[in-house]
Amino acid sequence: MSGKALDVLIVEDEMLLAIELEYLVEEVGCHALGCAMSADEAVDLAARLRPDLALIDVHLSDGPTGIDVARRIHEDCGGTALFMTANVKRLPEDFAGACGVIGKPYSEHGVKTALAYLACCLTEGRAPGLPPVGLTLAPRYAQLWGLDQPLSKSA
Amino acid sequence: MNDYEESRRAGARLAAEHNIDDPFAAAIRATRMAMIVTDPSQAENPIIFANDAFLRLTGYGRDEVIGRNCRFLQGPNTDPKAIETLRAAVAAGEDASVDLLNYRKDGSTFWNALYLSPVRNDAGDIVYFFGSQLDVSDRKVVELRARDRSDDLRHEVEARTRELTQALEQKTVLLHEVDHRVKNNLQLISSLLLLQNRRVADPNVKASLKGMLGRVNAIATVHRRLFQSEDVERFDVSAFIRDLVADLMGSIQRDDIEMQLDLERVDIPAAKAAPLALVVNELLTNALRHGFPEGRGGRIFVGVRRENGDFRIEITDDGVGIGKTSPVSGFGLTIVQLLCQQLKARGETTDAEPGTRVVVLLPVNGAH
Repeated sequence: MSGKALDVLIVEDEMLLAIELEYLVEEVGCHALGCAMSADEAVDLAARLRPDLALIDVHLSDGPTGIDVARRIHEDCGGTALFMTANVKRLPEDFAGACGVIGKPYSEHGVKTALAYLACCLTEGRAPGLPPVGLTLAPRYAQLWGLDQPLSKSA
Repeated sequence: MNDYEESRRAGARLAAEHNIDDPFAAAIRATRMAMIVTDPSQAENPIIFANDAFLRLTGYGRDEVIGRNCRFLQGPNTDPKAIETLRAAVAAGEDASVDLLNYRKDGSTFWNALYLSPVRNDAGDIVYFFGSQLDVSDRKVVELRARDRSDDLRHEVEARTRELTQALEQKTVLLHEVDHRVKNNLQLISSLLLLQNRRVADPNVKASLKGMLGRVNAIATVHRRLFQSEDVERFDVSAFIRDLVADLMGSIQRDDIEMQLDLERVDIPAAKAAPLALVVNELLTNALRHGFPEGRGGRIFVGVRRENGDFRIEITDDGVGIGKTSPVSGFGLTIVQLLCQQLKARGETTDAEPGTRVVVLLPVNGAH
């Protein structure tokens, strides 16, 4: 993997998905800080552990609060948020400050390449190329990381 | 009453201008059409002549109308816009024709089709206004009833449209909800398989789990694509194959195998998407696993196009060829055979010398 080892927080209320995600995060050389299942837990963990990247499901144990979590992590904790949701179309246009979305159902390979790609973007400050299949970047981040056509390779 | 006296004198002057034997004057006095003449030279433009028909229509005596402005015929339900039209026409010295709700002396109402026109002298100055009144209550009632009915109809159509729009919105919400659950459950199933795969040591069990994971992934790829397009009924086979190949090649990590794609856009009914995806997944993994044992690189070609009423899907490898290594996975082959039967598709496997060519012909419209 290129880029430094990212500290990753997982925000997912489906336990089996969260555990499997932890494995995947570790397998691409990132460091999994922990899992949060609700909005409060997520914001609390993010404030204490200061993750580089937070993988956030939209529907958490306390309702569709993931969007709010992404906004708060982005604005208050200085971390980058990435959505992982089956409902890509319901995300707000500005992605609530998140850098993009991986649509569910994702594959093992899809998540790994997306994580490796984002690790590179976050450490280098620019994208190593177009995002891999399965990852859609928020327009603001696509621009920030030097991609002219942010949506040309959407999931 | 000065107005009355003056108006009477004006009326007398008007009469004097016309001989008692004047057939036009006689006709106006006797006609069934209500008529009046007003005098704009006096303040308030009062009536100076009214025929018997006008008195019959309005229920007033002649003494009660001479010297008064016509507005005594108006009442609370008279349309102010129609009155404004009249006022403007008089002020401008122009003709006016309006339907006006008027009130009789006894308070009853009638619809008055009023026609008003200025009468000019030889010098072109307006000397009188001439008005004719026609009771059009019958026509007006029919008109209003028709308008009420069309209003009712319009309201009914609007209400029904609202209902249908709501029903559609609810259905769309439900569809998204179901789609959301299907995707989450697919994610859960693949996570279960991955987790168990981490736990077991037996390479045969691992291979089985990996095989099932690949099949679940193929179905998951279909579902990611299904609701992305606007048309939820159709499914783009080529886009799916592109996704599937990217995922398979990424996870297998064999840089020595080159993929070559020639994909024409081909849409199939959404109901056939999952079985076809499973067939393609099986054929591709077979080609990868059996055509190219470790260390033996090569090329796999995947082509999709329309041909004589069929969708033709071709997967050709230049690997070791049929039967030259371990036999093709029994279960995978069974899946392909059963699903081709279900899809009414024909599968042909031939020697590509070197390697294997598999062609699946899927009828565009139902059966062969």
